[in-house]
Amino acid sequence: MSRLPRIVRQTLTIARRDFVATVFTPTFLLFLLSPVFTIGFGLIGGMGARSVTEGSNAKTRIVAIVAPAQQAAMRSADARLRTVFSRADQPPILLITTPTADPQAQARATFKGGKADDTTAALYGDLTKPTILYGGQGRADARYLGSLAEATLRTDPAKAAKLSTPTLTSIARATPTDSGHKQAAFIAVFGIFFLTLLLAGQAVGTMMEERSNKVVEVLAAAVPLEAVFFGKLLGMFGSAILFVAFWATLVSQIGGILPANYANAIGEIGPAVGVPMFYLLFFAYFAMAYLLLGAVFLGAGAQASTPRELQMLSLPITIVQVAMFGLALSASGSPDSARTRLVELFPLSSPYAMAAHAANKPDLWPHAAALGWQALWVVIAITVGARAFRRGVLQSGSGKIGWKGLFGRRKAIDISVS
Amino acid sequence: MGEFVLRKDLAVSATGLIKNFGGKRVVDGVDIAVPKGAIYGVLGPNGAGKTTTLRMLLGIIEPDGGTRTLLGHDRPRDASDQVGYLPEERGLYPAMRAKEAIAFMGALRGLDLKTGRKRAVTLLEAAGLGHAVDTKIRKLSKGMAQLVQLLGSVVHQPDLLVLDEPFSGLDPVNQERLEALILAERDRGATVLFSTHVMAHAERLCDRLAIIAGGKRRFEGTVADARGMLPMRAHYVPVRDDAGIADHLPADARHDEHGWNFEVPDGGVEQALSRLIGAGHGIAGLSIERPGLHDAFVRIVGKAALEQAQ
Repeated sequence: MSRLPRIVRQTLTIARRDFVATVFTPTFLLFLLSPVFTIGFGLIGGMGARSVTEGSNAKTRIVAIVAPAQQAAMRSADARLRTVFSRADQPPILLITTPTADPQAQARATFKGGKADDTTAALYGDLTKPTILYGGQGRADARYLGSLAEATLRTDPAKAAKLSTPTLTSIARATPTDSGHKQAAFIAVFGIFFLTLLLAGQAVGTMMEERSNKVVEVLAAAVPLEAVFFGKLLGMFGSAILFVAFWATLVSQIGGILPANYANAIGEIGPAVGVPMFYLLFFAYFAMAYLLLGAVFLGAGAQASTPRELQMLSLPITIVQVAMFGLALSASGSPDSARTRLVELFPLSSPYAMAAHAANKPDLWPHAAALGWQALWVVIAITVGARAFRRGVLQSGSGKIGWKGLFGRRKAIDISVS
Repeated sequence: MGEFVLRKDLAVSATGLIKNFGGKRVVDGVDIAVPKGAIYGVLGPNGAGKTTTLRMLLGIIEPDGGTRTLLGHDRPRDASDQVGYLPEERGLYPAMRAKEAIAFMGALRGLDLKTGRKRAVTLLEAAGLGHAVDTKIRKLSKGMAQLVQLLGSVVHQPDLLVLDEPFSGLDPVNQERLEALILAERDRGATVLFSTHVMAHAERLCDRLAIIAGGKRRFEGTVADARGMLPMRAHYVPVRDDAGIADHLPADARHDEHGWNFEVPDGGVEQALSRLIGAGHGIAGLSIERPGLHDAFVRIVGKAALEQAQ
């Protein structure tokens, strides 16, 4: 039994060390407040996603081509049916028009509007046997039009027994819809976020590798540390390109193997600047986001001297990324707002927001300006990051860095003394 | 070697090097002049400032004061491709194979990878590590990995080889291999600058050396110069050893199980021997030895420590 108190004492000794080593670090404060950040940025992201959805719905419509005698009944049925939907799930606005000589052509014409007047589904023909055309993403709206035809018929007591049997036909669009642009914007923002999130971990991890294997002094003696820093950044960028190329190739083939209606749905998603230019801009903004955040994270990662500190550092890094993602996402839902301009200007969120801009707006000149602006910040981030890297990697003492140290003349470096 | 050496004949020269860390001066006005083709040792106790001095010479860190040239370049980085360096904290990528690690280190110094790989195989075989050419670093013993890193620092055939505590962590067999490698590098025409606090290596290898203690250079010269700083020591074994013998020996004489040890006085040992023979103690044995580098080092460093304490 005398062994038990000894083991307890030894256990407590280890527990005490671990507790002190964890708690008495500046990064623990960030860890402590992490739920606040996580919830806050989760809300921003959620609001962003919601604004994308709402922004898309606000500009879509469903069209019913019905005889004037049935129009009032249909309006009333629409108003009644909508009460069963929550605000977020409301069908698009209903547009009722009178049939011309060729209602089929009239219905098809509603899908050729392109930008603001996006039709998701259009109904024509006798309400007992209507034909409903729908775009790639309008199947649910087509079903709603079917229900609406049924409800309209039921408003006439004489025809109450007659049921509507609609025919649903999927049609392909020639150009992406406005909501397709927004979806492309979402994909762009999410894509860059996901990739940089994945790669930032590598950037920080590579620092730990240098710490543990002590190669850095060999490198520092042979080449300038700035070159080591940039080399690491480029090395990781290369692996990122490989990653992007692999998945881009895979995703680009998906359309060919999907059923027609799903393929039509994908066909509606597209950027305003056109696909080739969008690919180019996506790549450019991904490169900017990666270099910008990579430089920040590599510099920050170099300050960690133990895996524990590195773990702690990963948290604010993720928080920053989620914040940028949330901001850009919320901006992508409302491309003309002042908030969006601010998000496009803020250096860390600019690549995300401008990728969304490319999806939403066809103008190209803002991209030239944005890439120049971001390139400037990349240079600043790499310069500052390299200095932090130099101080962090070669120090074995306090490792404290301040503004003076980062921006002042490079002179003294904390390094082990022997 | 004369006191005045032309700068162009020096592989490394430094004047008044100063470095402060956190308000503490760790290198204080160190001068170093390493002749081309020499093996030069930087000796000093732990914490003397050896590593910091070497790092400043190589341009890894910038001095707070003083000047230095490396292979004729005021900016050490400009000579980077002609320098090989083994840092005190050994470091290799664990997932790399031995051959690749050596070639990689050569590539950092401007050697193309293909040539680097070829030379790596030759070097590994010559060092008795032919079996480890394709072995990953993580699978090598510490001593073997250290040897691989050393080979990586010479693979590009540098004009200057800087080794920081190269013998630490090596077993006697590998220490001997390293000594042979250092001599081979010198024979190839390279200058070798290394730091150590093990006197035996310095004594066997160094053409010249500097002793640093407390951040200051306390001595510069040859091994013989260092040993010459101390008087010769005599070891005397009497025929008859009794209590009165000490009266006839110098005041610093100390008795051990074999006899008496004392510094040879300025006038030599003859007078003392005459007195001992006259008193009937006789001479069963007598040897006079020059003190080793170890003794000189202890004397110089001890004196420096005393100065610092005062």
